Amino acid sequence: MINALSIEHLSFTYQSWTGKQNDPLFRGLSLQIPSGSKTLLLAPFNRGKTTLAKIICGVCPKYFPGEMDGLIRLYGKSLGDLDPWDLLPVCTYVSQNPQEQFVATSVEEEIAFPLESMGMDRATMKARIEEAITHWGLQDLRTSSEQELSGGERKRVLLATMQAIDASFWLLDEAFDDLDQHWRDQLKDLIATSNKTVLVLASRYLGEFDDLFDQVLLLDEGVVVKGETNSLLTRFAHLCGDDLPSPLEREHVLPSQRRILSCLSLQAERSRVSTAESEHFTLEVPQFQLQSGELVTLVGPNGSGKSSFSRLLCGLDAPLGGQITIDGKPYEGKQLSKRVGYLFQSPDLQIFLPTVAEELSWSLKRRSDLSRKEVEKQVADCAELFSLDLDDTPTTMSYPLRKALQAAVYYLLDRPFYILDELDSALTYQSALSIIAHLRHNGAGILLITHDRQFADKVAQRSYTIEDGRLSAV
Amino acid sequence: MTTNTYIAGTGWLYRFDPRAKLLLMLLMCVWFFLPVSLLHLSIVVGLVILSGSTNAGWHHAWRTFVSISPMLLFMVLFMPFNVRDGSPLLSIGGFTVITAEGLEQALRLMSRFIGITYVCTLLFATTVMHEVMLALRWYHLPYKASLVVTLAFTYIPFIADGFSQISESHRLREAEDEKKKKFGQRLKDLVPTLTSALVVALRSIPNLAMSLEMRGFGREERRTSYHSLDAYHHVCIHFILSCTIPVVFWFANIFF
Repeated sequence: MINALSIEHLSFTYQSWTGKQNDPLFRGLSLQIPSGSKTLLLAPFNRGKTTLAKIICGVCPKYFPGEMDGLIRLYGKSLGDLDPWDLLPVCTYVSQNPQEQFVATSVEEEIAFPLESMGMDRATMKARIEEAITHWGLQDLRTSSEQELSGGERKRVLLATMQAIDASFWLLDEAFDDLDQHWRDQLKDLIATSNKTVLVLASRYLGEFDDLFDQVLLLDEGVVVKGETNSLLTRFAHLCGDDLPSPLEREHVLPSQRRILSCLSLQAERSRVSTAESEHFTLEVPQFQLQSGELVTLVGPNGSGKSSFSRLLCGLDAPLGGQITIDGKPYEGKQLSKRVGYLFQSPDLQIFLPTVAEELSWSLKRRSDLSRKEVEKQVADCAELFSLDLDDTPTTMSYPLRKALQAAVYYLLDRPFYILDELDSALTYQSALSIIAHLRHNGAGILLITHDRQFADKVAQRSYTIEDGRLSAV
Repeated sequence: MTTNTYIAGTGWLYRFDPRAKLLLMLLMCVWFFLPVSLLHLSIVVGLVILSGSTNAGWHHAWRTFVSISPMLLFMVLFMPFNVRDGSPLLSIGGFTVITAEGLEQALRLMSRFIGITYVCTLLFATTVMHEVMLALRWYHLPYKASLVVTLAFTYIPFIADGFSQISESHRLREAEDEKKKKFGQRLKDLVPTLTSALVVALRSIPNLAMSLEMRGFGREERRTSYHSLDAYHHVCIHFILSCTIPVVFWFANIFF
């Protein structure tokens, strides 16, 4: 059988911007993906999973400089002889971060763009776009812009684009992340029933992966490891620290002061300005409560209003009706922002200074009750707790470290309540749990937003769900 | 990495052919530099804002004004440097602060700036980007150049979006008992926000280039188009209107 993808002795080291030589990411990596097969490549964080995907697509080291050696062939053709645009009908990549792949200003345009590039006639394009839009439930969003979509909706647009292109090789990087259960099942069905060659890259083993793949591989120490699936999964769980006891089991949360964050008859509205026919999205929260020391999860389908609710709860948006109280006293706007910490899904929008030390001390320096020495001590202790190097540059740090830095910033703010937006997305369970444990050290109440029911069941003391814009207790 | 500037609506500007609208925009931009009276210029600017508000909504008109207000403030601040040898209008201790001619020059400059801004933003608020692209290609602008133009007009709001998200993040990081910030501190705080917005924007450049190439930008075969401008009727009338509107404004200045 011909190999769809063949990689021989691949070595890659990212170019260093700091003068310090980077460690090689791949050291003679070899990988063969037979045509028509379904492969799962598991890789713990920071082992080069996304880099490998970008190398296969021909955009690394072109746009992400580094030293590369080795031979890569796609359906027998050497990648060195092809440009990224030549791969369009052959290989489609779905990025872990959907935002970085959007090039057009509406959903329909996004799906149409690659088809136009292939010179497809209008009738064929129309048929393919309609099929993909219907399959991924994007009918009401076809004229919406990327900014108006939730994380899961963005992922569905990329999957619809992949389906419309109809390439023979699908390369899916954490494609199940951001999707709610319905769309995860849909993606699973699509992979199972298609005749395509599928390579799924994942940093967590999800329940949906059971019986879906012909082969399971592990990326570790710069090479691909083959073997019996169960032993690979055990080794993978060990690498991710999933076989360690949960940090939440060890902790004893003792709130210094028992506080209650409540919402009563909260109402909010949101509109999509780029779509004339769409109805206003309304959010209703009849009742919500979060107490000090509690770990509560919020689950719901894509676009159901989880982020809208979070923005209300931390005072970034004002509700149309109802009120938010802490210990019975109403709060709004900035006063609420100072009591409810909101960790965005993307850490990059919350860290912005040149070094970790500056990042951690930014808020502390503004406090009137802390001397310079106290600030330095707190910053040093916090960096140690979160395993951060104070001289590191946040923009060049790995994703889990950036996520840890984001959490460390909020740890120092010592808010009585925190909202963690899809913390588990792109983190190992162990990393996510230790961040939660740190943030709860003083008995903070935590609201965890997640799509991963397995994770939610594992950690939640109570649960809320949002469906069609209405929040209710589970 | 691209932010849509389109606001859905059904007003007359939405029904206007994009090719004719593009021409109207260019002619109006030229019109604002014609030697017309300040009153007439202000009336035309007022009409542009009014038609913008009735088409894209008052909220859009207000947001546009807010976005250019720092520039307008600079124009006001620099007013004392305009036509210093004119008739004094306001003097403090023998120092002429504003002259009548200086005031008129500043108002003219502001009116032109407001007018051009509203005309350009109205085009992108009432026309979906792929139609702007089709209109540019109808004028025989090469595809790559059209793409650059439309990307530029979606990338600038993307940077603005990044700036507002980072500002929100700053707000969420304020300490509970933070010292009251002085004006200087507020300005100083803008530096990391602007820097990080710039970093986010710069980091997205290779991603955008990567995504365009992965979506086939650069392929040799002739690119087709999913959309067309066939749905627009009476194109000829729209072109006549596009040419007539600036001419009518010009004659109104002469006769009234």
